[in-house]
Amino acid sequence: MMRRTRYFVVSSLAVLGVGVGTGLVAYYVGFPAGAFARKPGPEELQYVPRNATVVAYANVRDVMMSDVRRHLHDAMPMPENGQREFQEQTGINIENDIDHVVACLDPEPQSTDGAGMVLARGRFNQAKIESLIQQRGGRVESYKGKRLFTADHLDLDSKRQHQLPDSSHTGDETRGVRHAAHDFALAFIEPGLVAVGSENLVRLAIDLRGGGANVTSNNDLMNLVRSLDGGNAWAVGRFEALQAHAHLPPGVVGQLPAITWFSVSGHVDGGIRGTVRAETRDDEAANNLRDVVRGFVALAKMQAGSKPELQTLVQSLELAGTGKTVALSFSVPSELLDSASRARRKGEK
Amino acid sequence: MRVFDFSLGEMLWSRRSVFLALLVGGPVVIALAIRVAVSAFSGLPRINGSTVSGSALFGMMIWLIYIRFIVPVLGVFYGTSLIADEVDDKTITYLFTRPIRRSAVLLGKYLAYLACTVLLVLPSVVLVYFFIVPLGGSIGESFPALVEDLGMLAIGLVAYGALFSWVGARLKRPLIIGLVFVFGWEPGVLLFPGYLKRLTIAYYVQALVPHAMPQDSAVSVLMQVFHEVPSVWISLIALCAISVFALWAAGRMVETREYVLEQ
Repeated sequence: MMRRTRYFVVSSLAVLGVGVGTGLVAYYVGFPAGAFARKPGPEELQYVPRNATVVAYANVRDVMMSDVRRHLHDAMPMPENGQREFQEQTGINIENDIDHVVACLDPEPQSTDGAGMVLARGRFNQAKIESLIQQRGGRVESYKGKRLFTADHLDLDSKRQHQLPDSSHTGDETRGVRHAAHDFALAFIEPGLVAVGSENLVRLAIDLRGGGANVTSNNDLMNLVRSLDGGNAWAVGRFEALQAHAHLPPGVVGQLPAITWFSVSGHVDGGIRGTVRAETRDDEAANNLRDVVRGFVALAKMQAGSKPELQTLVQSLELAGTGKTVALSFSVPSELLDSASRARRKGEK
Repeated sequence: MRVFDFSLGEMLWSRRSVFLALLVGGPVVIALAIRVAVSAFSGLPRINGSTVSGSALFGMMIWLIYIRFIVPVLGVFYGTSLIADEVDDKTITYLFTRPIRRSAVLLGKYLAYLACTVLLVLPSVVLVYFFIVPLGGSIGESFPALVEDLGMLAIGLVAYGALFSWVGARLKRPLIIGLVFVFGWEPGVLLFPGYLKRLTIAYYVQALVPHAMPQDSAVSVLMQVFHEVPSVWISLIALCAISVFALWAAGRMVETREYVLEQ
């Protein structure tokens, strides 16, 4: 064999051997794809605990600057109390300071509602925010080299304090409410990244800076994140977490199909394009759910016959998915939002 | 062994190897370009408005580039030339005057074709896999599919090579016949329901592909509608039978045929 032929054979076998060997290691040991590529989802997921039941992302800047927000604002002017209250409590202006947020929900045994945390990336005046929280009665402590601000909701919102049961109630439920009410913390995890939410979760986020089991090692959830359509707002999670927060009547809960995971992704710009996806327990449950959704879509199409402005939206409904996955995509065109705001203005006149 | 050694060197370092390098290097360059584009624009590629994950993109490349193009083309170009090139170059006499059986010459050349194509195509697939699959996918999760792809492509090269080495030993214009078979007969027959598709190699090779058939064109959609998938075992047995029969027939043809060299 000629020398160059020998070199070719050896190098070819080397590429093949290294490739198959690496794949084999990845298959058996769970070699992360991150060794070769960026992990799916935003970087902030590294601060979300592994057992988070719901994870959501929103590109606040995109959404705030979108035509959709303007149209919605025109069509349904909403009081911005929540936004103002948040700014008063934390000093963070959602509209101007934040680029994007990652939120998570992590059910805790002592709270039926679970605990939440928002990781916001943006430009913050750290000194101003810290002094505002301290003025509001927030306490400051050092936790693993980070300044952790904890505040008491009872101190901040006197109305809620009056709504709490009196001290004679010592049941578990009362303790749960009291715990949730005390449970608020804020910390700057890294420059330009603030964690706001349940004290446990904020402490955990600081712990995860040094490594540990974060949500990126939760394969079930990350597979859903990977499957998203790359929209500027999305949420994925366990369906039971949604059910728990929806406080549905037991009769309705019993009628719901056996959904294990859900995901919602949307792209907000001139209009809204999105997909709602559900993973069911088995193929049969998926078929049942598809039948139900198909029925609703057919009903919506019949109803939309007399309302031409809704036809584009209804026509955009598309049912898809195979096996245990059921997906419904939709598109809300900007014209529909325009007509809604025009209708409102007419009504005002 | 000497025929294998000599033929391998000849196949690798001939003018045809430029074509071969372009053929197997193309997908690697495409994969690298996709990887760079995804890194630059920080978003997965979109096809018809939908985001495509790395695994799906890799499956698409296996279907459209390797199965439908590279494997049949390599089989046609190299398989038909095993004997035909020696006849055209008037060098077949030198091979046949050696003290070995004529069919052993063909077998040595066929094994050289197999080594040459397998050693070029499979590393190319591995490189494409490592460039593409990590884009929104997991290497570990899709590794079994890679192994199936490598096996399926190797079996495809075996079967196409064997068939076209017979065609090359039997017919006078083997390249044209081979191209008509690969780009005319096979896709045409696969479009329609019926038994004729069993007279193709693609029918059995496609049954071994672990990825879903892409719906890239109206033809693909039609192919999917009439896509009957034989079981993996039937496909393996059929491909094995085709390869053994074609090689036996090619050997027999070389043994018995008198090659008249044009002056």
